Amino acid sequence: MNSATLTLSGVTRRFKDVYALNNLDLTVGAGELVALLGPSGCGKTTALRIIAGLDRADEGQVLVRGESIDKLPAHKRNMGMVFQSYSLFPNLNAEENVAFGLRMRGASKAQRRDRAHELLNLVGLDHHAKRFTHQLSGGQQQRVALARALAFEPDLLLLDEPLSALDAKVRANLRDEIRALQIKTGTTTIFVTHDQEEAMSMSDRVAVMNGGKIAQIAEPDVLYHTPANEFVAGFVGQMNRIPAQISGSKARVLESDVDAKFDWETQPAEAVALVRPEAIEVTPAPNGNATVVARAFLGPMSKVMLQTTQGFSFDASMTSDQSASLHSGDSVNVSIKPGQYLVVPA
Amino acid sequence: MKRIRIANLPLMVALTIAGLFVLFPLGSATEFSFRTPVSGGHGLANYVWFFTAPDFGHYLWISFILAVSAAGILLVLLVPTAVWLNLGGHKVRPFVEFITLLPLVIPVVALAIGAQTSLPDFAQTNEFVLAFMYAVLALPYAYRTLDTGLKAVPLRTITEAARGLGAGWFRTIVQVVTPVIRSTVLASLFMTLALSLGEFTLTSLLHWDTFTTWVTTMSQSNILGAIALSVFSLVAVFVLLLGIGAFVRPVSNQAAAEED
Ligand SMILES: Nc1ncnc2c1ncn2[C@@H]1O[C@H](COP(=O)(O)OP(=O)(O)O)[C@@H](O)[C@H]1O
Ligand SMILES: [Mg+2]
Repeated sequence: MNSATLTLSGVTRRFKDVYALNNLDLTVGAGELVALLGPSGCGKTTALRIIAGLDRADEGQVLVRGESIDKLPAHKRNMGMVFQSYSLFPNLNAEENVAFGLRMRGASKAQRRDRAHELLNLVGLDHHAKRFTHQLSGGQQQRVALARALAFEPDLLLLDEPLSALDAKVRANLRDEIRALQIKTGTTTIFVTHDQEEAMSMSDRVAVMNGGKIAQIAEPDVLYHTPANEFVAGFVGQMNRIPAQISGSKARVLESDVDAKFDWETQPAEAVALVRPEAIEVTPAPNGNATVVARAFLGPMSKVMLQTTQGFSFDASMTSDQSASLHSGDSVNVSIKPGQYLVVPA
Repeated sequence: MKRIRIANLPLMVALTIAGLFVLFPLGSATEFSFRTPVSGGHGLANYVWFFTAPDFGHYLWISFILAVSAAGILLVLLVPTAVWLNLGGHKVRPFVEFITLLPLVIPVVALAIGAQTSLPDFAQTNEFVLAFMYAVLALPYAYRTLDTGLKAVPLRTITEAARGLGAGWFRTIVQVVTPVIRSTVLASLFMTLALSLGEFTLTSLLHWDTFTTWVTTMSQSNILGAIALSVFSLVAVFVLLLGIGAFVRPVSNQAAAEED
């Protein structure tokens, strides 16, 4: 990892008796894109606003390159921010909006114009430079907002659900564009979202937040394959919950013994194994432990819905080629691929 | 030229009827005001009559100054209040809204008696007290115009964006908030000006003389002159508002819409 550009240590923010942030620690390396992912109300916006200086922490510190910026007002922090709702200045056109940060920094008129056009070009909107907010679509407005936030080469780019007000197709395009632009400019970025697909697909690392804390922070694939706890497992990707019987350090799941890898203090009587659909092995067998309920074709992959002989249901995911021989009512043997599960108390 | 769509037809008809409804009496009044009964023809006699009346300029000026002062008072009081209310979800909003509605609920007579019984002497003897009274009367309209306009822009996000981009509070207010709210503030100013210029009841109850009370007094002696005066007042107010409007035009609509 590169040197840390941003460090939050023990940041706490209370609103009356609600802890919006509860002793939050976070480190973001230079040039890195970290997503803050979590359900609504978990404190993502509050974290971003404290980093930007638009809100104050009750406790804890915010450091940029090792130096505390807690005393620095928002306008001296050199951070580019894109908001969830539209935030362009309605009295300025796209070019003037993008140039605003440079104007505040005393750049000359010519410099401002050149840089604004350079940035509008990057977001593909140079031909709309003279347009005002009300003449731009939602996606275009967010592009201009992005150009505006990048124009003055901020130390940090802060994006607060910039895509959530856009329709699905624009959202997917803009997501890829933001990532490409972020890599190209090398801007250290924090991307706030409640959409796990968005977070997983565009980040170097994802910080899953819950109740004002970071539940786990890791690379997307690590997060997906080895979630630290049930919350992360449930929030990222699809997850089956399959009953498990504990005996000693082993758990019995789908009639085979797996290593329970306990990390809880007292051993529970009841437990569940959290298993990804693609970690379930399905082989046709005349007197197997499960039956095929239905099959859903999803292009290259298919989802196969299964029910065990004990009567609980779960999904398996496999390539459509593999699923071609499976039909409703078929008897199959199901097992869990080694290591790809998490056993937690029920 | 844009094609006129069929869907617009009812609107056009309604506008025409409404237009006629307003313009016909106005046109008639204007025509009437130019009549000269002695010769039976048309002329400027009625206008000359009031223009040359000794107090015409004096009262016009008083009304103008009072209206501008009332607008100024409301500007200073209301703009910061409304901006502040729209920057944060403040708990005092219902209270402020209640206060601004009071002038609609309290009868003007009560206001006048209140002013006469409880204001200190220096305020009773100074005509300028009317400016404050007008401000009170225009308060509900001015505040509502301002608040509705401000609610239409995401003022809070915009100011936060400005600060994030490097503008301190002062520059945020001067370079971002002011231009954004200018047209709304202007609309609310117009409202106050128009209401103050036409105020009669309270002025007359308090025994002050302004242009409106002077017009009433004058009309009693010359009916054609009174109509000429009314036409003049209408045109004057219209020109005044138009003038201010052109002087401070909202910027956001200047750009010509380009094609994709
Ligand atoms: N200005 C505020 N006043 C009171 N409570 C707030 C305020 N801002 C946020 N909160 C509370 O703090 C918690 C976290 O909010 P927020 O950071 O906006 O969450 P997120 O962006 O993850 O949806 C929520 O419970 C929210 O109600
Ligand atoms: Mg939020």
